[in-house]
Amino acid sequence: MPAFRAASALTLLTAVSVPASAHAGGRAIPYTLLHAHSSLTYTFTQAGAANHGRFNTFAVRFDPAAGRLAVVVDMRSFDTGDSQRNRILGGKDFFDVAQYPQARFTARRLIRTAHGYRAVGALTLRGITRTVVIPFTWRTADIDGREVGLLTGRTTIRRLAFGIGQGQWHSTEWVGNAVTLRYALELLPARGR
Amino acid sequence: MIFRNTPVRWGAVSQLLHWLIVALIAVQVTLGLIGLELPLGMEKLAALARHKSIGITILALAAIRLLWRWMNPTPALPGNLLPIERFLARFTHAGLYVLLFALPLTGWIMSSARGFPVSWFNLMQLPNLVSKSGTLYHAMIEVHATLAIALGLILALHIAGALKHHFVLKDDTLRRMLPGCAPAADRSVAAADSPRKSC
Ligand code: HEM
Ligand code: HEM
Repeated sequence: MPAFRAASALTLLTAVSVPASAHAGGRAIPYTLLHAHSSLTYTFTQAGAANHGRFNTFAVRFDPAAGRLAVVVDMRSFDTGDSQRNRILGGKDFFDVAQYPQARFTARRLIRTAHGYRAVGALTLRGITRTVVIPFTWRTADIDGREVGLLTGRTTIRRLAFGIGQGQWHSTEWVGNAVTLRYALELLPARGR
Repeated sequence: MIFRNTPVRWGAVSQLLHWLIVALIAVQVTLGLIGLELPLGMEKLAALARHKSIGITILALAAIRLLWRWMNPTPALPGNLLPIERFLARFTHAGLYVLLFALPLTGWIMSSARGFPVSWFNLMQLPNLVSKSGTLYHAMIEVHATLAIALGLILALHIAGALKHHFVLKDDTLRRMLPGCAPAADRSVAAADSPRKSC
């Protein structure tokens, strides 16, 4: 459902309040997501084995010049590839998507690194906000004649820090605390600011 | 204690493998049935995780057991059997060996097809045997369950046979799979057969 995804991504974007950059032209422009080519996935340990999930709908706004990065994720769009498991993960004890339909990351600061940035900011997941550092590489490339920004990286968060795993699921014996997020985003220069 | 088999008696290694697998199968079937009954949740996850780990252990032990069997003499079936009994003994033993491989393998394929990789006691993640497939997963549940029922039926024959040997025919078939001394009759055969004592 690419059309649906694009539409809901747009709806999400309106929620991302990244002020338009003061810089115009050249590289000093904000970027938005090219959705079809981007992925946001996570890996968690279930019963000792690595399992994967993904978010299908999310919006990203990145403005290196202004030092801004904002991400909004539609928590209802997750998929772990198993309908029964999805029902549990979406429920009260885990993501509780009915109560907390969105997750967001808003960088307060971008620190330049050799191949990209470390974004220091606030991650809000399941209604709990914590400061996290999101490292990523960043480069722009010419793909089919248009400029595309490639943002990739991964980081590990602890699910319990965000209340993901209530009741019996607080135990990390069968579902590990560490969750690795992986992002591979293709961003386009934003138009019509 | 002798480790290797003799032509009339199972050695300690064969005995240990036989009874260890018996114990693990008992736990295994219990965990499988618990996993089947429980609603989706942590208890089911835990029961099935243990079920998978023990099942993989049984697979490894079965492989070691066959290898050991191949490297050792196999005690001959007792001489007092009718051809049909001989056939039943061979058939049940072969069937049990097949199931000791087929049950874990279908379970492993089932888990792989569902997209839940198998871990061995949280220590080692095993590779997926097949890629994700709902059709294959559902087929494998059926096959796994059917094989488990087959195991029950063949085991009933196997145990009935063992008990018949012991209580009706009063021969040493059960005793030679158990630790301790074989009775005098057996020992004299063993002594004639090999310079070492049979126990
Ligand atoms: C000798 C080894 C094994 C025996 C005797 C055995 C037996 C059983 C039994 C009796 C059940 C419940 C009945 C049923 O589902 O119909 C079961 C379920 C199951 N077994 Fe096994 N099993 C063995 C090995 C394995 C292995 C190695 C795995 C995975 C790596 C496995 C995975 C499963 C799973 C996932 C279920 C639950 C199926 C469901 O969702 O209902 N089994 N097994
Ligand atoms: C999960 C349960 C069991 C499995 C998978 C199993 C499997 C086997 C197999 C494959 C053999 C053939 C050994 C060979 O020729 O290499 C065997 C032999 C034997 N089993 Fe079992 N068995 C089980 C339970 C039992 C039980 C409960 C008893 C006793 C009541 C028993 C008594 C025997 C005896 C006495 C022999 C030796 C037969 C002989 O000397 O020719 N087994 N078993």
